[in-house]
Amino acid sequence: MQPEPARGRPGHNISMWGAPGSGKTTLLAALFIALARRNDDWKIIGSDPASSDYLIEKTNALSRGKVFPEASMTLERYHWTLIGPAPRRSGFWGRKAKPGPPTRIGISMIDAPGGLFGTGRRPAGAPSGVAAAADGAGDPRRQELLDNLEQSRGIVFLFDPIREFTLGDAFDHMHAPLTRLAERMLAAGEFLDGKLPHHIAVCVTKFDDPRVLETAEKRRLLTTDIDDPHGVPRVTSEDAKELFRELCQVSASGNADMVLNALDQFFHADRIRFFATSSIGFYIDRRTKMFDWDDFQNMLPGEADEDSRIRGQLHPINVVEPMLWLGQRLAAIRPATEVS
Amino acid sequence: MPEPDGDLNRKAVAQALASLGDTGHLSLVEVAADGVTAFRIHRDANGCPRGRSWSATWTDLAGERGWDADPDGIREAVLRAARVSPPTAEVILAAASPGGPRAEQALDWLRAAHPGAQVLRAGAPIAALVREVMVDDPLTRSYELVVMLADPGTDRLRLTSRRLFPIGARPGARTRVAVRCEPGGAYGTAFAVVTWQGPEPRLLSVQSAPIPPGRYEVTAELVRPGRVRFTGLPELSPDPRDWDRLVAALPDRLPGGTGPAHLVCAVEVCGTDDLVAERLSRARQVINRSAGELGGPLRVSLVAYAAHSYDGSAREFPVRAMTWQADAGEALDALGELEEQGAIARGYPYHPHAAQLEDMLALVVRRLDWDDPTPVVLLTVGGRSPHPPRTDLSGVLPCPHRHDWRRPLAALEQRPGTVLGAICDQAGDRAHPAWHRLGAAALAHLEAVDVHGLAADLGLVAPSPGHLPFPLLDETE
Ligand SMILES: Nc1nc2c(ncn2[C@@H]2O[C@H](COP(=O)(O)OP(=O)(O)OP(=O)(O)O)[C@@H](O)[C@H]2O)c(=O)[nH]1
Ligand SMILES: [Mg+2]
Repeated sequence: MQPEPARGRPGHNISMWGAPGSGKTTLLAALFIALARRNDDWKIIGSDPASSDYLIEKTNALSRGKVFPEASMTLERYHWTLIGPAPRRSGFWGRKAKPGPPTRIGISMIDAPGGLFGTGRRPAGAPSGVAAAADGAGDPRRQELLDNLEQSRGIVFLFDPIREFTLGDAFDHMHAPLTRLAERMLAAGEFLDGKLPHHIAVCVTKFDDPRVLETAEKRRLLTTDIDDPHGVPRVTSEDAKELFRELCQVSASGNADMVLNALDQFFHADRIRFFATSSIGFYIDRRTKMFDWDDFQNMLPGEADEDSRIRGQLHPINVVEPMLWLGQRLAAIRPATEVS
Repeated sequence: MPEPDGDLNRKAVAQALASLGDTGHLSLVEVAADGVTAFRIHRDANGCPRGRSWSATWTDLAGERGWDADPDGIREAVLRAARVSPPTAEVILAAASPGGPRAEQALDWLRAAHPGAQVLRAGAPIAALVREVMVDDPLTRSYELVVMLADPGTDRLRLTSRRLFPIGARPGARTRVAVRCEPGGAYGTAFAVVTWQGPEPRLLSVQSAPIPPGRYEVTAELVRPGRVRFTGLPELSPDPRDWDRLVAALPDRLPGGTGPAHLVCAVEVCGTDDLVAERLSRARQVINRSAGELGGPLRVSLVAYAAHSYDGSAREFPVRAMTWQADAGEALDALGELEEQGAIARGYPYHPHAAQLEDMLALVVRRLDWDDPTPVVLLTVGGRSPHPPRTDLSGVLPCPHRHDWRRPLAALEQRPGTVLGAICDQAGDRAHPAWHRLGAAALAHLEAVDVHGLAADLGLVAPSPGHLPFPLLDETE
């Protein structure tokens, strides 16, 4: 079946929020690899050729070319379907279980240049290129972004602790679209109980960075999954909020804790979930195949004016989880139209 | 008439002076038959007591109108004449006898104004007593003589000080010091005394004279606080130079020939081609210079190191000793090979800001003969930082061999007769701290190397005939 082009794209609209360079595009690029590394049955397929091409191209650049994506200039929309294992229907009196139809979660991802989330002022130190110049409040892409946010019911919000150490503008990039979104929702009559109808997955990105990992370690937030073959340290979703709060303490502007307040103000408590995410993950030695506390950095700084590179294989952490959580929560509210 | 109170008064003033700190004042006000004398004593930066005095007669204070015309005005004038500057002043009032009614009146006013003041009765003017007490004041800082010490292994010179008088010493104290004097330049040899309080010495006095080279048994005598007399030497006279000028004249090694040496040249051979060529040519200059001038035989080891590879599929160029303890000619040949080879780009993508400095140090420490007393000079020519032994916040990936640069470096720093010099292509403030330790004896910037100066600093060539501005401590007794 051909998906209807104009409206009613199957599944749920999920949009990505985050300041420039917070890792939005890298997260999307790592999604395919992240799914491939899981040993459950989830997979991701493009729902249209452009989205499939994107998956293939970005995945290759990341895993073979060892290069990060370039800063985004345009608003990109990708339509994917997450196909998961069938829910098992338990047989009567212990008879053999019959698998049902596979779970499908359609998602439409919107990846916008981070500058569009800003206040409209050009951030200090940002390149004065075409994109930055067009980032003014009247930028048509800004309207498009808001339209999309209004239609979506799921948000992946990327909080970049490294940027927060140095620039501290996460709050600026969250508050501006949030208030505009609330305005529109109010007008549409969807802000009745004083909260937005959206679910939000807050991803603390670049968890692989030594500074972030060290913070988590100091606060004793690290655990290892018993069945993780690499023994990689992680922070559970319950503790990720604590990590977030801790990282806010060292924010350059001191505004980061206002992000927490804004979340509480605008979203239902049970619709917020935190994730400690890394798109590239930790460096895992090919021979030992184990996480090594002495040598875990997977980023290789670039020479002179080159960009950073990726050192070893990608082992994404909490990249699929926020998507699945959003997909499952949204599916529970409004089952997706099936694609075939 | 005998002075029964003389000793008591001396004790009281001495005690007040002894408890005078570095910032306060001690005020002594004497009222006598003819008027008021005020003394104000403080300690200078070296802790020596310094005093001033002011005198005013009753007529000066009362003016034309006479003593009884304006009692309030005169009271004010008397208090002013006492020159007590609160609040950090301790006050002693001394009433000379016979005093007379004006003196008694003035004393009453002063007592009322300074209720905490001690009051002494003096049979004679106290000026002489104050002076004596100041001269006899025990030292509140230790006094030390500035001397130079030569390191037995390397003849490197160190500036240090030798205790002359401890805290509490009194005039008349004597100490003997054995020194050796070398030609001292225009001013001769300077006998500089410093006081110590806290971590920094402070210059107290400098006296100098041209002194024929040789060994001297010098006696230092404490004349009074702030003044030390040296005997056993030609007569010294005050030297106008301040500390900076004195130390500017300082060579860092004993004048004279240099002996045999082992020069280890470690060169970073990654980076741009130009940079690598420049580093190699600097190493060549230093080897050439040292081979030409060194008094004894020169052995040269040449070590090349590059960047670690962090790509499993790209083998790296491991650190290697091109020659070890070879003669200079062989080392120069090996240097030629490196020059032909150019910058090592093998192992890309390697880390752009770091190199195998830690592997190089480990290799040098492993290969050096630790029982050989020949002086060793390690000259490192490069600029990148070392890799840390494990992931840290620097963002530099850890050394694949987990070498920690601090360990071999500390071993070299402690090895007797070992001198560390470096030519670094990063500006001092941008270079990794390891470079400051690698260049402890001499750190030159790649673009501006005074090759002779560097080689001299490292003891590879004799320094230009210099003078020793201070006496050398003679420890041969
Ligand atoms: N350590 C670490 N760095 C990351 C990770 N993901 C992204 N980065 C770094 O962040 C930079 C920006 O990533 P992008 O994915 O382009 O960020 P973006 O949010 O899409 O940026 P804009 O498109 O400019 O809004 C990359 O070039 C990397 O240097 C990660 O998982 N770990
Ligand atoms: Mg992007």
